[in-house]
Amino acid sequence: MQGFSDGAAGAGVGVDLAQLQSTMHTIEVACTSIQMHINPTAAEATILSLSQSPQPYKACQFILENSQVANARFQAAAAIRDAAIREWGFLSAEDRRNLISFCLCFVMQHASSPEGYVQAKVSSVAAQLMKRGWLDFKPEEKEAFLYQVNQAILGGHGVDVQFIGVNFLESLVSEFSPSTSSAMGLPREFHEQCRRSLELNYLKTFYCWARDAALSVTNKIVESDAAIPEVKVCNAALRLMLQILNWEFQNDTNSMKAGINVFSAGIRNDTASTKRSECVIVQPGPAWRDVLILSGHVGWLLGLYAALRQKFSQKFPREGYWLDCPIAVSARKLIVQFCSLTGTIFPSDNGKMQENHLLQLLSEILQWIDPPDAVAKAIEEGKSESEMLDGCRGLLSIATVMTPFVFDQLLKAIRPFGTLTLLSNLMCEVVKVLMTNNTDEETWSWEARDILLDTWTILLLPMDGSGGDAVLPPEGKHAAANLFGMIVESELKVASASVANDDGDSDYLQASISAMDERLSSYALIARAAIDVTIPLLTRLFSERFARLHQGRGIIDPTETLEELYSLLLITGHVLADEGDGETPLVPTAIQMHFVDIVEGEKHPVVVLSGAIIRFAEQSMDPGVRATVFSPRLMEAVIWFLARWSHTYLMPLEEANSHLSHDYERQLQSINSRKALLSFFGEHNQGKTVLSIIVHISMMTLMSYPGEKDLQGLTCHHLLPTLVRRKSVCHQLVSLDSWRDLANAFTNEKAFFLLSSANQRSLAQTLVLSASGLRNLEASNQFVRSLMVHMTTYLVELSNKNDLKNVAQQPDIIMSVSCLLERLRGAASAAEPRTQRAIYEMGISVMNPVLLLLEVYKHESAVVYLLLKFIVDWVDGQISYLEGQETASVIDFCMRLLQLYSSHNIGKISVSLSSTLLSEAKTEKYKDLRALLQLLSSLCSKDLVDFSSDSVEVTGTNISQVVFFGLHIITPLISLELLKYPKLCHDYFSLLSHILEVYPETLAQLNSDAFAHILGTLDFGLHHQDGDIVNMCLGALKALASYHYREVCAGKTGLGSHAAGGNIAEGIFSRFLRSLLQLLLFEDYSPDLVGSAADALLPLILCEQGLYQRLGNELIERQTNPTLKSRLANALHSLTSANHLSSTLDRVNYQRFRKNLNSFLIEVRGFLRTM
Amino acid sequence: MSDEEHHFESKADAGASKTYPQQAGTIRKNGYIVIKNRPCKVVEVSTSKTGKHGHAKCHFVGIDIFNAKKLEDIVPSSHNCDVPHVNRVDYQLIDISEDGFVSLLTEDGNTKDDLRLPTDEALLKTIKDGFAEGKDLIVSVMSSMGEEQICAVKDIGPK
Repeated sequence: MQGFSDGAAGAGVGVDLAQLQSTMHTIEVACTSIQMHINPTAAEATILSLSQSPQPYKACQFILENSQVANARFQAAAAIRDAAIREWGFLSAEDRRNLISFCLCFVMQHASSPEGYVQAKVSSVAAQLMKRGWLDFKPEEKEAFLYQVNQAILGGHGVDVQFIGVNFLESLVSEFSPSTSSAMGLPREFHEQCRRSLELNYLKTFYCWARDAALSVTNKIVESDAAIPEVKVCNAALRLMLQILNWEFQNDTNSMKAGINVFSAGIRNDTASTKRSECVIVQPGPAWRDVLILSGHVGWLLGLYAALRQKFSQKFPREGYWLDCPIAVSARKLIVQFCSLTGTIFPSDNGKMQENHLLQLLSEILQWIDPPDAVAKAIEEGKSESEMLDGCRGLLSIATVMTPFVFDQLLKAIRPFGTLTLLSNLMCEVVKVLMTNNTDEETWSWEARDILLDTWTILLLPMDGSGGDAVLPPEGKHAAANLFGMIVESELKVASASVANDDGDSDYLQASISAMDERLSSYALIARAAIDVTIPLLTRLFSERFARLHQGRGIIDPTETLEELYSLLLITGHVLADEGDGETPLVPTAIQMHFVDIVEGEKHPVVVLSGAIIRFAEQSMDPGVRATVFSPRLMEAVIWFLARWSHTYLMPLEEANSHLSHDYERQLQSINSRKALLSFFGEHNQGKTVLSIIVHISMMTLMSYPGEKDLQGLTCHHLLPTLVRRKSVCHQLVSLDSWRDLANAFTNEKAFFLLSSANQRSLAQTLVLSASGLRNLEASNQFVRSLMVHMTTYLVELSNKNDLKNVAQQPDIIMSVSCLLERLRGAASAAEPRTQRAIYEMGISVMNPVLLLLEVYKHESAVVYLLLKFIVDWVDGQISYLEGQETASVIDFCMRLLQLYSSHNIGKISVSLSSTLLSEAKTEKYKDLRALLQLLSSLCSKDLVDFSSDSVEVTGTNISQVVFFGLHIITPLISLELLKYPKLCHDYFSLLSHILEVYPETLAQLNSDAFAHILGTLDFGLHHQDGDIVNMCLGALKALASYHYREVCAGKTGLGSHAAGGNIAEGIFSRFLRSLLQLLLFEDYSPDLVGSAADALLPLILCEQGLYQRLGNELIERQTNPTLKSRLANALHSLTSANHLSSTLDRVNYQRFRKNLNSFLIEVRGFLRTM
Repeated sequence: MSDEEHHFESKADAGASKTYPQQAGTIRKNGYIVIKNRPCKVVEVSTSKTGKHGHAKCHFVGIDIFNAKKLEDIVPSSHNCDVPHVNRVDYQLIDISEDGFVSLLTEDGNTKDDLRLPTDEALLKTIKDGFAEGKDLIVSVMSSMGEEQICAVKDIGPK
């Protein structure tokens, strides 16, 4: 396939026409056969060989100009791009210019061609080449190209050319924008420099060109009654303007920070909100003021849209189709984009100009959404919804750049009510529509609701990180209260309706909460904005439903009410409390600040509401009520609510005055009501009673709902862990009778052995953690001991049985052993300094049983895994606390465990007729090995984190040797097959690279089999597709080679015989030097790897200088072209000599070599890879 | 503690029982279960509710450990299921007869001659080749509910 190249560049000989034609023919045939699906791989190879052949430009240009097959032209353009990007480094300046101007001229000349995709491709090739040369071209060269484009855009050469010009700019801008640019094999700095240069010097000009192009055709469009080609130009121009406004302007950020105080009046500067919403904030900076604001540009755009709107609605009054035609869509998008314009583009005039700007936009947008009921009705009757949705997006954009107060004020200039009222009315209409046609399909009302909810969220979320919810004006509060009422009504209606369509397993609490979470937290924000109305509303709704349940007990089917309660519990949970996300959530500020006139705890509306729910939950203790009312699903919601609520309200931290330091007068007023609320469920008031109720309810869910895994999972993973998270609550817990009952039931009750394994584990962990609430160390340890002693005794007794082998295989014994191991594992993972002693003893006491059980259960993979995981967690929790002697015995135990495991599994071939079971077996093996690797990693950490009083070395334990020994045992089990599991692969290589970095010297002590295996996996990892893995392997190589080099320099042997490799085999470093060079020069890899590859390559070269010279010479010899030959020789020379590279391995030298390698690769990879 | 002991020890001497009752909710993936009177390994467990506010039920997918057929079952999660007693014993291989039976050495020194060679190609080849080369082979025999089958082989010859 070398025949495609048109010979050496600049040979000056006319290329044989026949040859060009035959190339064209080959490519055409290949393209056609791909389309017809005849031997596509061969065809692809043919096309690929065109782009990979050296200097295929003449052939490509010939195809572009002469081929009748559009696909062939497309492929030829792609080949120009690939070849030119690759060979850019050694194309002459003239060649480069010619390629670009060829592409530009080609698109202009064929502007009216029907195959738009070929034009688009050629124009994007031109854009990419232009960018590739952007930093090298002289300004006048760029001007020349852009002049040509500008001429096209001005419209003198006809509409098609005008369109092509705009289109080219679109490609160019998207190439220069970092998120949409194409890869060029160059460092990021290049892309960054291009971006900056375009933003500073050209972007605004392009914008003006696009605007002028649009201006030049709008009159025609408005006047014409038929579809005319000018529409295409106008649409493209609008798109380009939108694209430019979407640019991530960066030159403005500094001035933003400097001018931050100026914009205190109503314009928000918080960057947090930009991240939250999908709405892009447009901040082009003061330079754009004249173009975007002062020139009346927005007025023109709004006028254009209004004119088109009116024209079409007069002509086709009953049809909304034009709303979806491209020009209407682009114009609306641009209008919405203008809504998010902010920053220093507006002068510092207290936001006056920005307000005027937004008001101008709002009055146009208003026509799309106002009056809400009429708009909603029209859409339901078949009008297109796109205009209304864009209207909502416009509101969202305005909300993103304004404070709630200014947002509300905007509309008051033209309407008797504020924007918040409009927003609330609009959303109420949307919710009404949602309520009437409640389907699973995503309708327009779904989308509108989501956009409007986002708008509320943006408005109501605390503006700075320090809390302090946004305060709405009274009218806004009223609007929020109305809306929340409507939302709850609709949610309840949806809930009771959903009972009928019983799609069984579709929604579980966790699933439905996480699906609804974002929506529920937005609802909560709206509710908190009008908290004095919404809390009593919720209380009323609850009591209505409680009453309904009581009156109808045994008479009416309660399912609908249960489902409504389920929804109400979720909503109320979100309104009252925040998700902690690992932190302790405070009582929401809105709740703290309101209800100032209430000083008696029990009359506080929040207390009333919480109390009602807790009393209701308490009724579940009665078996009769439980059977009729508390279905597992309702109970799930109750448990979820109790967990969320107790995290915030139960015995809250007393941090009284620290929070409200700003506003003195308010503080004095509200302090009493806050105190009333906070202390009501505190330690000295109702806290203890409520806590006891909650523990009783938890225990009941574990005992009286057999087999309800989801409910029990919530109790074990959610509610109980929440209780032990805070010390003050732990303190109370351990003194409660109910907690002691729970601990007793845990050790003795049969029902608790029937819980699912993860639940048992979590329960054990929770119980052990609660020991931190006990007064002193001894009491804590004693608590843990008495909790776990039954379990360890059972295991010890079992393992001492003579007929263990037979007994152990019985299903009931397997189940008990599994349960106990899960519990031990849970306890082990709860290790804290306070209870470390007891947990250490627990582990030590079952060491022997563990080994015996590993022996008898060697075929029971599920039990083996539990055994390993228990040991892993136990060692992980203990290792850093252990004294020297203890460490030695733990390490000894781990080694015995590893050996035993390995002896069971090495060389074993299991088979099964079922492929499912086979792959299951493989997965189990993978999980085991991963656990063992984690065990080794934990052991490694002893060298880094050690709290013991004596050093490990005192007892003669050398961690590195231990870990290597362990690796020695398990590496034969890790086949390349198993390394295909990504997590195992990751764990293995991170352990390996860590070990090699920290203890390279011990590697030399491995025997040759193990050594070869480790290096084999390293080689495998080097060619892995995951960049992280390759990085770790490169790190390991660097560590190895630099260790060896340093040792040899110091006159020692280093890796000795391994490095030399004996007579037959090559030494390891030569092997890796070869394969690394091969990778760097000829294979595909991410440019991010070059840095770490350089770090590995430098010591490798230093170790094997002779071989490196030889390889370099071979490379040079293979090159036939004399120009390229000398280039390569020079590049190789400067790789090792430029930047004063020396032969030491210090940081500076590594840095220099990184630079050298980078420029070396840019210089030579282009032509090396074509061979 | 007495309750627990009762639970653990009750059937300790009932080694001969073929199956054992266990609550459906506690049977996990990778455990065993009897479906349609066949011992199966559980490869999938999912739970669902009968109606929105009803009780949970478990849906099991099991694979017959002897003939690899896929079987399914739905059981309310608070009810009991049968769990088969699955035993595995290692024997040293001493002979392969021409009619396809193997001769195995038991722990107490007797021989066990009633097992056929496995039908699986790979395993069969490993056993036959290994035996022909004179390697020391250990075979694992899996038995449950009155059936037996060779399920794994291991070479314990000198490393």
